[in-house]
Amino acid sequence: MAKDITTTTRRTFIRNAAGGAVAVGALGLPMVARAAAAVKVGIVHPVTGWAQYSGSQCRAGAMMAVDEINAAGGIKSLGGAMIEPVLGDAQSKPEVGAAEVEKMAEAGVSAIVGAYASNISLATTQAAAKYGIPHVVDVGVSDKIVSRGLTNTFRFGPGFGAITKAGVASFLAINEAAGSPTKTVAIVNEETTGFGAGIAGIMTKGLEPAGIEVVEVLSHPTPNKDFRNIVLKLKEIDPDVVIPSHYYNEGVLFLRTLQRQKVTPKAIYSVLGGASSQYRFLAEFPDAAQYVMDCNHWFDPKNPAALALKKKTEDAGLFYSYEVFLAYTAMMFTADAMERAGSADREAITEAMASSTWSGSIMPYGPTKMENGQNTGARPLVMQVQGDRINVIHPPEYAEAEAIFPRPM
Amino acid sequence: MAGWLIIALALALAPLALGSGRWVEFLELTLFVAVLGQGWNVLGGYGGQYSFGNAVFFGTGAYVQALLQYRFGISPWISLWFAIAGTAAVGAAIGWLSFRYGLRGSYFALITLAFAEAFHVLARSFPSITEGGRGVQLALNQDPDRALATFQFNFAGSFLAENGFYYTILAVFLASAFATWRMERTRFGAQLIAVRENEDAAQALGIDAFRVKLGAISISAAITAAAGVYYVQKYLFIEPGIAFGTSKSVEALFAPIIGGLGTVVGPLLGSFFIHGVGEAAKATIGQALGDRPGVDLILFGTILILVLAFLPRGLAGLWAALWRRLTGGDGNA
Repeated sequence: MAKDITTTTRRTFIRNAAGGAVAVGALGLPMVARAAAAVKVGIVHPVTGWAQYSGSQCRAGAMMAVDEINAAGGIKSLGGAMIEPVLGDAQSKPEVGAAEVEKMAEAGVSAIVGAYASNISLATTQAAAKYGIPHVVDVGVSDKIVSRGLTNTFRFGPGFGAITKAGVASFLAINEAAGSPTKTVAIVNEETTGFGAGIAGIMTKGLEPAGIEVVEVLSHPTPNKDFRNIVLKLKEIDPDVVIPSHYYNEGVLFLRTLQRQKVTPKAIYSVLGGASSQYRFLAEFPDAAQYVMDCNHWFDPKNPAALALKKKTEDAGLFYSYEVFLAYTAMMFTADAMERAGSADREAITEAMASSTWSGSIMPYGPTKMENGQNTGARPLVMQVQGDRINVIHPPEYAEAEAIFPRPM
Repeated sequence: MAGWLIIALALALAPLALGSGRWVEFLELTLFVAVLGQGWNVLGGYGGQYSFGNAVFFGTGAYVQALLQYRFGISPWISLWFAIAGTAAVGAAIGWLSFRYGLRGSYFALITLAFAEAFHVLARSFPSITEGGRGVQLALNQDPDRALATFQFNFAGSFLAENGFYYTILAVFLASAFATWRMERTRFGAQLIAVRENEDAAQALGIDAFRVKLGAISISAAITAAAGVYYVQKYLFIEPGIAFGTSKSVEALFAPIIGGLGTVVGPLLGSFFIHGVGEAAKATIGQALGDRPGVDLILFGTILILVLAFLPRGLAGLWAALWRRLTGGDGNA
């Protein structure tokens, strides 16, 4: 025994390992040789720079889809061609994203999935259009992305307009079901990127006809490091419902400040809330997250594949955030289009996407129908943090639980 | 001069020789940063006034170019002159406010940073004029016949679609390099260098340092604005963060500091080096380690530190030293 150990020198170890690798390779060879040529798909996200967390989550989601498709035998209409991902890092800059698309075009990709942020997606879709590469936008909610007449650009998920509209309608429904306890509302919104300001305007317009008064709109910049002033103001005006709209970091800080200052409105209801329906926030600050409602991207909670993906994501040590399942779905949508196109040709895939009626998604969407590249069947859900779960509470066909509203004090 | 003709010719023929969209895009980004760097170099390299907020000029140029088209439908070929001249005026105004109160060194760096931040806030705060945080999006032209009129080459037939913006930024770069080269040889250029070397001594010799620095910041602003014009025409989108965020300010000063301060070729060398090393790092360490975002940036950062530590005069200084050693000459290639 002792002899064995002493004779395993570095050289013999390498020799044995190399021999093993060759043997494994030889066993694997016939399978590889049988498969058709791989079809390349570009995956571009900001995996470094300011958006790196979200970009990395997106990349993880898209890669899980690729692994699943390949494990299930690749694209069958292409003779079982594997999807070969071509990864790109936009470094959180639009111009770098566009340069990555140029690389992908040259690498011969058949389609591109990306690029999380709206401003990067605007640049990448435009660059891809130059080469006629179909580009599926995974997150980027700006409606400018799909309103430019680019025939190569698709978005499977809902855009800003559709989400805010659904956000107002769902709130009114939840409020009515609870006996209309809401008389006054205060909006807390970020005003740096226009995202929060846009939502504030739409909410105000939608709530007033229902007799709900918007008593205060409190704006703040992004990033914002202190919410004490805003929260003290809220304490003073004491609205029935607080409607926040900002990004993740501000969302966390705002909700924690509310909790610390013991400000407890009947509900906190956000639309595209940064932190509200994030497992990461729930895991880190379960008390601050309790009973917060949010209208946002969400998976179909009754779909086994969606739950399997959740488990897989969590097993990989990641949080199951909207970036993961949206990028996953965008890649699945792309694969379905390639399957139906029966070709790696960019034009054929673009056509298959434009006429897609794909129904295998893990999202709670209606029938897929592309209009100017936007899936009109896409819609958000409304969730509420209840205990250690994030439950869907609206619309009723997807609801896992009743809304707890007004929330217990 | 002969050296510059070779550089210009090589850059002009590069797309034809490369025949690769990917590498043309690489050169395009390199030249874009070289223009930003040249803008910074005029004021920082020749004038010794280190700005940390050149994004204010990039952003102003970009916003003027975008808004004149967006709000008034003015032709991009006309609006670009307003963008460049307007930004030069903004540069003069910022210079007037800063130099008048004798701000130098780190105080000047801080005030330029503050101006960039102030413009950032302004761009966000007046949505009725600037579209606020949503940004300005220009209409995309897909009609090849109107490509030249709209200054949009994305759908302009194969040659222009692939190379139109490359030649745009090349023209801007060569113009900025020529302007810098001319400036170096004028009385104004000599005065600017004198101010950099010792402002008090220069003033004692009768040089109006305030006027000279004002001239330099205006030229710096005009060159940087041209980069903004290119950016808007290519990406058709500008928002406060892209326009006035610190990233453009940092890119602008990195290229000349690495390439060689106060030399015409410095910003180009520096930009080539930054992008070349970035690509090489991605192709080697990034490739070897697979899906590990950002590892290439570690190598990139290490090389940057080494250059800054051991080449105080940048790559242009290294070149001059090598030339001296090889020929025993004076190194002014």
